[in-house]
Amino acid sequence: MKQSERLEIFEKLRAEHSVFLLSVLWKLTGDRELFTEAMQYTLMGMWEHIDKLNGRQAGAYIYRIALSSNSRAWRNRIGRNGDFARSRIDIEADPGEKLGRVELTVKVRKAISRLPEKQGRAIVMRYLEQHDYETISEKLCCTKASARSHVSKALAALKEKLATSA
Amino acid sequence: MNNDNIEEILKNIGEEEIPADVHKIAQETSNNFSSSLQRTKQSKQHILLEQIMKSRITKLAAAAVIFIAVIAGLPLLDSKQGVALADVLAKIEQVRAFMYRTKMTMTGAVMSGRPDMKIQTDATVTISNDYGMKMEMVMTDANSGKEEMTQKMYIIPDQKLMISLMPKHKKYMRMEFDDDLLASMKRQNNDPREMIKQIMGSEYTELGRSVIDGIDVEGFHTTDPAFYGGAVENVECTLWVDVEEWLPVRTEMDFKMNEQMQMQGVIYDFQWDIPVVASDFEPVIPDDYTAFATEGMKMPSITEEAALEGLKFFAEITGQYPKKLNLVNLMQEFSAIKNNKNQTDAGMKLKEEMDRGQIDERTKKLTETIVKVQSIGMFYMTLIQNKKEPAYYGETVGPEDTDAVLLRWKISDNEYRIIFGDLSVENVTAEELARLEKPL
Repeated sequence: MKQSERLEIFEKLRAEHSVFLLSVLWKLTGDRELFTEAMQYTLMGMWEHIDKLNGRQAGAYIYRIALSSNSRAWRNRIGRNGDFARSRIDIEADPGEKLGRVELTVKVRKAISRLPEKQGRAIVMRYLEQHDYETISEKLCCTKASARSHVSKALAALKEKLATSA
Repeated sequence: MNNDNIEEILKNIGEEEIPADVHKIAQETSNNFSSSLQRTKQSKQHILLEQIMKSRITKLAAAAVIFIAVIAGLPLLDSKQGVALADVLAKIEQVRAFMYRTKMTMTGAVMSGRPDMKIQTDATVTISNDYGMKMEMVMTDANSGKEEMTQKMYIIPDQKLMISLMPKHKKYMRMEFDDDLLASMKRQNNDPREMIKQIMGSEYTELGRSVIDGIDVEGFHTTDPAFYGGAVENVECTLWVDVEEWLPVRTEMDFKMNEQMQMQGVIYDFQWDIPVVASDFEPVIPDDYTAFATEGMKMPSITEEAALEGLKFFAEITGQYPKKLNLVNLMQEFSAIKNNKNQTDAGMKLKEEMDRGQIDERTKKLTETIVKVQSIGMFYMTLIQNKKEPAYYGETVGPEDTDAVLLRWKISDNEYRIIFGDLSVENVTAEELARLEKPL
């Protein structure tokens, strides 16, 4: 593919998915540095795989790239023992909000970054993007029952991860 | 925790409003990336990317108890299209283990009051994504040719440990990292991948083709002060890349660490995808080795808290704040207390402690003070690296200037964090900062 074609496709995708990327990546990270890092990885991933993004499946690929980028950004913050550098997390704390809840939200975000891809997508679509099961089933190319099952398994996986990190 | 709690948290995350500055961050990040893709240099159809990731380079200064930072670069060259740096990074990040050699010469006065030195350090560095880093180095007095020290250093991320062996002295040292420094070193290790990010974030020129050791290469040269995050001066760095393999062949660098110290070096003999096992990165401490006095100590932290503690300590000992926060300058200023006739009580006490006792006790005390002082410089460097627009006024602001701005950095579009002369900390708006900085 010629360079000019790659650039054209990239710009088109960037325009089409900018709102989605902003929303999903911010909700997944909740931290400005993490967000910037995840955004950069996502753009880099889109550029690297531009050949695969020139078609109907582009949205699904970009979704996958975004989730993978989020995981990568979180991994860069997390030590081998699973702890994250607390001082690096820019917690948007309302002074009235209990610190415990804020920390829990960070833990939930971290746990999402470690979910398997399909479960991660299911959680993001259901709760972060607030899609109904019909939409989720279309995007995941499965039945509504399967979509519910993916979300349910993802919640169970999150609960287990949070329990082990407590 | 039950599912209801998790669902509630997830719903709240989903309903969260995106802050206005995050919209701007997203726009800028995306536009910068796009601009980089579209920029060309010298009419060639190369794709150049600006700095993709923020770089949190951890620099380890060299001396008897400090460490040499090793830099390498890694551009990727497609012989048909030229260098596509995103592809470079992608390829490099697939490499699980690699090694290279370095030859560095440091010239100047390491410590204030000491004579000028010319130290050559030859090192072999092995990096494994899975196991950590190993560096074997030999330091030689370049003037006399006398071997001063050999050292084998291991960085073991799993244990958050740095272990150093000094065979000549039959001693070993172990120091722990905290999460912040470990995260930095894991990302950095001053390895080729970070060098290329530095190059990408700088203004550079393409030198065209050449041949090194029979290999066709293409060169990239920068003198941009932004290289290395602005932490060094008079920078010159040249990267040579194998045009067929898209891997680095040689890196040459020359920069000023401060007024007195110059560093020149070359990185070469890269070997990629080398087979390694865990035991390659597990130091074996011989039975007849003894622990350095610094056993169990921690490496400098790069947090605000550690920087504040360092500033407080510096002021207690010297009566003032450091004039500059360059790592080498910090050490030179601090070491000058020996010759300072106007020492504080705490400074005199420290000097006495460092003059008496066995060598191990003195070394331990020295390392403790170095770690505290270095934390200031490490923190400042991360502010530069993260483009937080730090400004430091230690030349004019002292501990008695309670309401003057000593150090400040940006935390959001319209907000700055300030450390005042009395080491109190506050967040202010840009307008308030302008008013506070006016008298300086």
